[in-house]
Amino acid sequence: MSFAFTQENTIRMASLLNRYAQKKALSLPLLWLAQKQEGYISEEAMQYISEFLELPYMHIYGVATFYTMFRLQKGDKPIIEVCRTLSCELAGSEEIKKYLKENYSERYEIVEVECMGACSGAPMCTLDGKYFENITPEILDEVLNAD
Amino acid sequence: MQTKIVSKNFDIPHAEMLEVALQNGRYGSLEKLSTLKPQELIDLIKQSGLRGKGGGGAPAGVKWQLASDFEGTKYLVVNADESEPGTFKDRQILAKDPHLLIEGIICTCQAIGANISYIYVRGEYEEFSAILQRAIDEAYEKNILGIGSTYKVDITVHRGAGAYICGEKSALLESLEGNRGHPRLKPHSPEPEFYFGEPTLVNNVETIASVPFIVQNGAEAYRAYGTKESPGTLLFAMSGHVENPGVYEAEFGLGMWEYIQKLGGGVKKGKKLKAVIPGGASTPILPAHLVYEAKLDYESLRDLGSALGTGGMIVMDEDVSMVKALKNLLRFYRHESCGQCTPCREGTSWVDKTLDKFIAKTATHEDLEILKSVSRSMNGKTICVFAPAASSVIDGFLKHFESEFLECIV
Ligand SMILES: Cc1cc2nc3c(=O)[nH]c(=O)nc-3n(C[C@H](O)[C@H](O)[C@H](O)COP(=O)(O)O)c2cc1C
Ligand code: SF4
Ligand code: FES
Repeated sequence: MSFAFTQENTIRMASLLNRYAQKKALSLPLLWLAQKQEGYISEEAMQYISEFLELPYMHIYGVATFYTMFRLQKGDKPIIEVCRTLSCELAGSEEIKKYLKENYSERYEIVEVECMGACSGAPMCTLDGKYFENITPEILDEVLNAD
Repeated sequence: MQTKIVSKNFDIPHAEMLEVALQNGRYGSLEKLSTLKPQELIDLIKQSGLRGKGGGGAPAGVKWQLASDFEGTKYLVVNADESEPGTFKDRQILAKDPHLLIEGIICTCQAIGANISYIYVRGEYEEFSAILQRAIDEAYEKNILGIGSTYKVDITVHRGAGAYICGEKSALLESLEGNRGHPRLKPHSPEPEFYFGEPTLVNNVETIASVPFIVQNGAEAYRAYGTKESPGTLLFAMSGHVENPGVYEAEFGLGMWEYIQKLGGGVKKGKKLKAVIPGGASTPILPAHLVYEAKLDYESLRDLGSALGTGGMIVMDEDVSMVKALKNLLRFYRHESCGQCTPCREGTSWVDKTLDKFIAKTATHEDLEILKSVSRSMNGKTICVFAPAASSVIDGFLKHFESEFLECIV
């Protein structure tokens, strides 16, 4: 299996090149682009990016593994992130996590994350990256069964 | 009780759209900007006493001078990594008044002699970042940014990817260069930061968003608010056990307890106050009796053995277990340590594990000593101040709430 950016993303890549002093700065933007395109970052994508940026594969691999939002494995379920840091814990994030794990782990991948900058809306979670604040089991039922 | 300088347009519907922003005074400082020389701008910021709002409170004018004193290519990098637990103020600016930030960037670039600016936004803020990007696109279309504009400033939004440590300015620049977010060793004498070897100014979103008011109204107008050493306002944030959590801008120097009661609506459900973490998770905790004394400025909180930090207060009521609260924070530190320094990597992990014994009530006196000695070993021996901050957090809990830890000893 080989990797290539779509035509749209290739144009995006070219315009990114103009925004930075050195190609290397595109490491994160291109990893994001690959993840958007395929849903995760494959070895082939990292190979492609390292060749394009003229950097060792290990550099790109090292970057991709350092940041928690990059996914190196293909997942088949949408992701729910639940914040577990102090303000959310004080507001009951433990129970939210338990509720999600008990009721939704078949349909969703449930991940615990650190403070998301939404502490005034604690407890909070995200679904496909979108923020949901002041959540309760009832709100979760509503949101997660709304199709 | 609120003083709205930066948050003035927060409640105006669609203030993120250029048309509405213009109707509400945005880009009003640019006219004034054209009458000031770069050095005059820097002097203006020095006179205003503006301090960095990302946590450290460094005088902004001094940092601007350091960057400006270099010839050649320079960069402005805006820190929108906002990952300090209890902090969610920069997000309000990005989503509710992005044009204020753009305006501040233009002023700051003009002062230090830069044309290129990056806004490093934490990866999780994708929704808010999209609003910012639309505002930037609009500013380009209307020749407020870019080659056709008066000041020829280019702004690029750079997306982080989930790493608290990238908020530390040198780690942020490493990340922006395409590397892992490892903080750099700091020089002994003051110098600017460097991005690909070029002198670079790194400021917090709110710091930059405070600039247009000062350019437009003058240093004295800014100094009319706050205290002598902490002039102006801050977007103080409140979360935890308060009735009305949120972000409320206020001038420095107000009483913390008064602020919590009047703007936060007091402790939730009429419970008693136990403690407040005053300025993001990395600032030492204040027990209730010190909260009643504390004033919301850098000096007062330093004198009480804590720090103002980002101004993000986490309020805790009488029912909170301090052992559990510290455990929560250490799990965070353990998870977020970048791993470069042994005292930090091993220390956070060791304290985190030791705290489990306190939670299980199987700790010994030796474990309490371990907490103290590991905390000591994390202070002053690392590349960045992440580990010393974690150490001060541990010390704060043990100093004010040691009895709760003793109760967990068998
Ligand atoms: C561990 C750590 C995390 C930090 N996180 C942030 C952050 O998320 N946002 C921020 O503006 N500053 C953060 N800072 C402070 C920055 O290093 C830097 O001082 C700041 O961005 C400078 O801007 P200012 O002078 O305008 O405050 C952090 C510092 C440390 C040590
Ligand atoms: S103190 Fe911790 S976070 Fe800072 S550089 Fe060292 S290991 Fe990394
Ligand atoms: S603690 Fe959960 S969003 Fe900040």
